[in-house]
Amino acid sequence: MGTAVSIELAADRPDDELRSLIADVCGWLHEVDARFSTYREDSEVSRMGRGELTSTDCHPDLRHVLGACADLWRATDGYFDAYAGGVLDPSGYVKGWAVEEASRRLAAAGCHTHYIGAGGDIRARGDRVWRIGVRHPWDETKVAWKLAVTDAAVATSGTYERGGHVINPRTGKPAHVLRSVTVVGPDLTLADAYATAALAMDGEGLRYLEKLATDGYESAAVTSDGRAFTSAGLPVAS
Amino acid sequence: MRRSTAAVLGTLAGVGMIFGVRMAAPTQVVPVAEDAPAEAPADAPAEPDQGDEAAPDEEPAPDEEPADGGAGGGLTDGEFRGTGSKYAYGTIQVTITVKDGKVSAADATYPTGGDSATINPPAIEALNESALNAESADDLDAVSGATLTTGAYRKSLQAALDKAQG
Repeated sequence: MGTAVSIELAADRPDDELRSLIADVCGWLHEVDARFSTYREDSEVSRMGRGELTSTDCHPDLRHVLGACADLWRATDGYFDAYAGGVLDPSGYVKGWAVEEASRRLAAAGCHTHYIGAGGDIRARGDRVWRIGVRHPWDETKVAWKLAVTDAAVATSGTYERGGHVINPRTGKPAHVLRSVTVVGPDLTLADAYATAALAMDGEGLRYLEKLATDGYESAAVTSDGRAFTSAGLPVAS
Repeated sequence: MRRSTAAVLGTLAGVGMIFGVRMAAPTQVVPVAEDAPAEAPADAPAEPDQGDEAAPDEEPAPDEEPADGGAGGGLTDGEFRGTGSKYAYGTIQVTITVKDGKVSAADATYPTGGDSATINPPAIEALNESALNAESADDLDAVSGATLTTGAYRKSLQAALDKAQG
C-alpha cells in the first residue's frame, strides 16, 4: 500500500509492553497488506481478481470485506464501488477497517488511550482530548480546521494528492466538484467509506453529507472553488 | 503518564520499514515553517492573476528553506508575489514580504472561485458555509488529509508532528 502509519500510545506501562503492543499492531497491518494489497501478485485480492480464488476458499477476513463492500455499495447508491476501476480493489474499505480493528485490539489489550493514523485517516480514543487538524486542501503546511475528539474516527478524502483519484462511477471520470471531504464519527471503517463516497458524488456530495449527520457522522467539506461547508455538530476545537 | 510515539514508514509489506518508538515528554508546539514559493520572486511586485504560466498539474514544490531567516540577506525590501503555480484544480500564489534583506512573512492565496470547476451546489440547509481558514498546526496531535503515500508523508505536517513527539 505504501502508506505511512503513526501510532501513539499514552499508557502508564513499561517500555517493553508498549513496544510489544506496537509490534502487534504492525504485525496485524502487515498481515492485512499481504492479504489485501493490489500491488502484490500473490495477495488473496489479486488472486481473486484473476479468478484463481473463490469466496468460499479465501480467508474469512476477505469474505467479510467483500460482504461489507457490497453493503456499502448499496448504502451509497453505488458510489462506493470496490470495482470502480474495473477490477476488484477494496483498498477504500480495507485501510479504515484495518486501523479500526487495530484500535479495537489495543483497547482490548488494556491500552485505552491511543491514536493510530494511516495515510491521513485517524482513529483516536481514550481518556484525553486529541487535537486533530484537517489538512488545508491547497496548502500542505496548514490546516483548515482543528478538531477536538476523545473517542472518534476522522477520515479525509481529497483530490489534491497526486495519484489519489476517486472515480465518479456515474461519469467514469475523476471526481472534481469537491476538493476535500472529512468525515468524523464513531467508526473509521464507515467514516472513510463515507468520505470517499461523498467525494465521488461530485455535485450531490454535500447533500449526502447533510444526511450522514443524522447517523452521527459529522463532516467538513471544501469545494474546488474554495468554499467551506461544515455540519452543525462538527467537533471544532475551541 | 508515559507516552510512546511510533512512525512507521515504508510499504506495509515490510520493505524498508523505518520504525521508531520513543518515550516522549508531553507534546511540544511544533513550529511549522511556511514554504517559500517554488519560483524565485520577481524583481518587482508582480501583477495578480499570473496563474497560467506553470505547467498544468504542477504542484507548488516547497522550498526546503523556512521563510523566516532561511533566505540570506541581500534581498530587496518590499512585497513580492510569486508566479502562480497552476495545478489540477486551481492556482496557488505565494506572496513574500522582505524586510531588512530577509524574508519576514509569506502568505499564500488560494482559488476563491472562477478558476476551477463551476458548481451550483443545491441549497444546503443543514451545512454551514464559511470562508476557508488556513491555520498553523500548532498544538495538534495528528493531521487528517487525503491518502498519504510514504513519499508524501515525508513532507507532511504529520511527519513534523511525529518528529516533535519523538
